[in-house]
Amino acid sequence: MIVLQVPTINDGPHDFDRLFDLWNQVNGDRLTVVFDFSSCKFLQHNGVAFLGGLARLIEYRHGRVFFKWETLLKKIYTNLGQNGFLAAFGFPKTAWRGNSVPYREDQFQDKNAIINYLKTRWIGHKWAQAHISEKLQDAMIGKVWEIYANAFEHGLSPIGVTSCGQYYPDHQELKLTVVDFGIGIPANVRLHFDYDPRARVLTAAKCLRWAFQRGNTTDTKDISRGVGLDLLKDFVKINKGRLDLFSHEGCARIDEKIDMVANQTNFFEGTLVNITLKCDESFYHFSDETFEGPLF
Amino acid sequence: MKKIIIHDMIGENCITIDDGQQAYDAIYPELIAGKPVEVDFDRVKIFASPFFNSAIGRLLKDIEPEALNRLLVINNLHSDGMMVLKRVIENSKQYYSDETSRKTLEEILLEQSEDQ
Repeated sequence: MIVLQVPTINDGPHDFDRLFDLWNQVNGDRLTVVFDFSSCKFLQHNGVAFLGGLARLIEYRHGRVFFKWETLLKKIYTNLGQNGFLAAFGFPKTAWRGNSVPYREDQFQDKNAIINYLKTRWIGHKWAQAHISEKLQDAMIGKVWEIYANAFEHGLSPIGVTSCGQYYPDHQELKLTVVDFGIGIPANVRLHFDYDPRARVLTAAKCLRWAFQRGNTTDTKDISRGVGLDLLKDFVKINKGRLDLFSHEGCARIDEKIDMVANQTNFFEGTLVNITLKCDESFYHFSDETFEGPLF
Repeated sequence: MKKIIIHDMIGENCITIDDGQQAYDAIYPELIAGKPVEVDFDRVKIFASPFFNSAIGRLLKDIEPEALNRLLVINNLHSDGMMVLKRVIENSKQYYSDETSRKTLEEILLEQSEDQ
């Protein structure tokens, strides 16, 4: 039996490292794993999305999962009740509305269900709706959909995708984490170039840099692809938001001023995207565009 | 001119490859026959690149840009949708015009510097 000591999780770089350390402790089949929260003083939405997916991954690998709910601090217990995490794992507690965006599991790309979640539970909070126009809400949802599209079309995650978010009214921010436990972006890029043995030694950071460049895609169907991450990146910059992406040892951070990829020490075989968007209409200039000139 | 009302066909969210395939199946036969088509996006709210890649970008595989400018009329597409569509068209033109435009492994390996 493995007792996983869940640490305090915010959404700084070291916090993601701590999550990936948990993944490394239980990367095997037929494990019995107990999640213990005695050391956890705070658990942000990114931790919730990751822990939920990790528990499902252990179960998928024929393992057994137990949560020591009695070790939760009251404020974390309340949050996990509100966002539906407790209910998702068998604790008899019904979720309710608050500043938490519900914990969610998607086995496959159910367009209507995911868009409904983003519309009514992520951006649909009355506070967010009061700050941003419907046009901006739709634009934000369209860009966040690109994250889900990538996860489902490239991730090959055996347990699908988990998500969780949070409102931060004081900072006028909306956050969302989307995690898949698939093969990861670097593996996809290396497979894409598998005709050349040198592809095997491409670093994770180089693979991420390639994936973020416009027009680059590992999709081999005869449809041009590879603008989703590029669109998302541009949107985050205009929005003065932040995008963190982790896959294998690679990490990327995009914000108004930073556009970087790097290698880190901790390995995680899936892909985690954490996005922070500002609910500030002033960054956008939507116009009723009448297109002039040739489109093609 | 044939008019395709995307909202009636797909709904207010045009975001997936499958959504795009439906639109493509209606648009492509007309254009390849040299007939004009109007595609109306009225009441469509949410767009994402997989839809446009599949519905519009792919047209550039078989049809020249000049012919598309002449035959395909896009109406009532809001500014965010237009921004996504323009990016997709730009990418598709490059993709279908030059197979070697996609970055090669050689180029990636030559990029020695990685951000820290």
